[in-house]
Amino acid sequence: MNLKGTLPTLILEALIREPSHGYRIAQRIKERSEGVLDFREGTLYPALHRLENEGMIESFDGPSSRDAENGRTRRYYRITESGRGMLTRDRGEWRAHSRAVTMILEEV
Amino acid sequence: MTALDDWLKQATRHLAKDSVARVRTEIQEHFESTRDAAVADGATPDAADKFALNALGNAKVANCQYRRVLLTAAEGRMLRSGNWEAHAVCSRPWLKWIIAGALVVGLCAASALFFTGRAEVGRDVLGVAIGVSPLTAALFLRFRTPARGRVFRVAKWLAMTIAVALVFGPELLKWSWLLISCLWPLAWTESTRASIRRKLPAAAWPRQLYL
Repeated sequence: MNLKGTLPTLILEALIREPSHGYRIAQRIKERSEGVLDFREGTLYPALHRLENEGMIESFDGPSSRDAENGRTRRYYRITESGRGMLTRDRGEWRAHSRAVTMILEEV
Repeated sequence: MTALDDWLKQATRHLAKDSVARVRTEIQEHFESTRDAAVADGATPDAADKFALNALGNAKVANCQYRRVLLTAAEGRMLRSGNWEAHAVCSRPWLKWIIAGALVVGLCAASALFFTGRAEVGRDVLGVAIGVSPLTAALFLRFRTPARGRVFRVAKWLAMTIAVALVFGPELLKWSWLLISCLWPLAWTESTRASIRRKLPAAAWPRQLYL
């Protein structure tokens, strides 16, 4: 399914509980949508960078489970207060939009 | 060169060095995680590599998106050259006083020329002085918020428009070819700076981005 325009909202939703790295964010979106929302993972990072530029999320270096022994780190992202506000607005808009479309489709 | 290297080379085309390093690290980690998960699910190493690469998608599409959000090589160069310009002026305090002095002398000369009835020349000198005034203001004023920077940029373009109108007067259209060829580097610099402003958080802006 085409994710155009909704990927930033899905990323914020994936980060609402805890900070996470790109791979886990991608997996979380796919798992929670039961595989319906599939996207090319190379496009995830530009979306993450855009959200970071806009101040919706922030990044930090965290431990990488794979490289725990050699001390390598991995880039993690966490949602900011502005990001939480944006997610609340997006949720409201999406519910209204979805309700309107459902009403129209169920008329038939 | 592996298939992942090829993908990264395409995806990071025309990006600044720092941006390339960041993309390479993130994508490599992502690729390895996807490959490990595929191997854990029973795929052969070769099949897992192909699956992980396929999951990344089209490198050209990723490159377009990266160039919209990360600094490109040209933007990186502009940031560095801007730093050099700022350093050259700031490390020579007398230079900014000479520029300020030239502005004052220009304004005094323009007034004198108007009072002595040589309005034509006075108008040209006033135009040049107004054109130089944003540069002088940039050297002496402090801009530390994006809003102040925006106000300054509006004032700067207004001053330049007035300066051009004063210097060329009714012959503005006749000389438009010269103006366009002289002003396009300025317009290009302005648009590149606007792009950098979108990509860097305000806290990381160097001084020239406010101007």
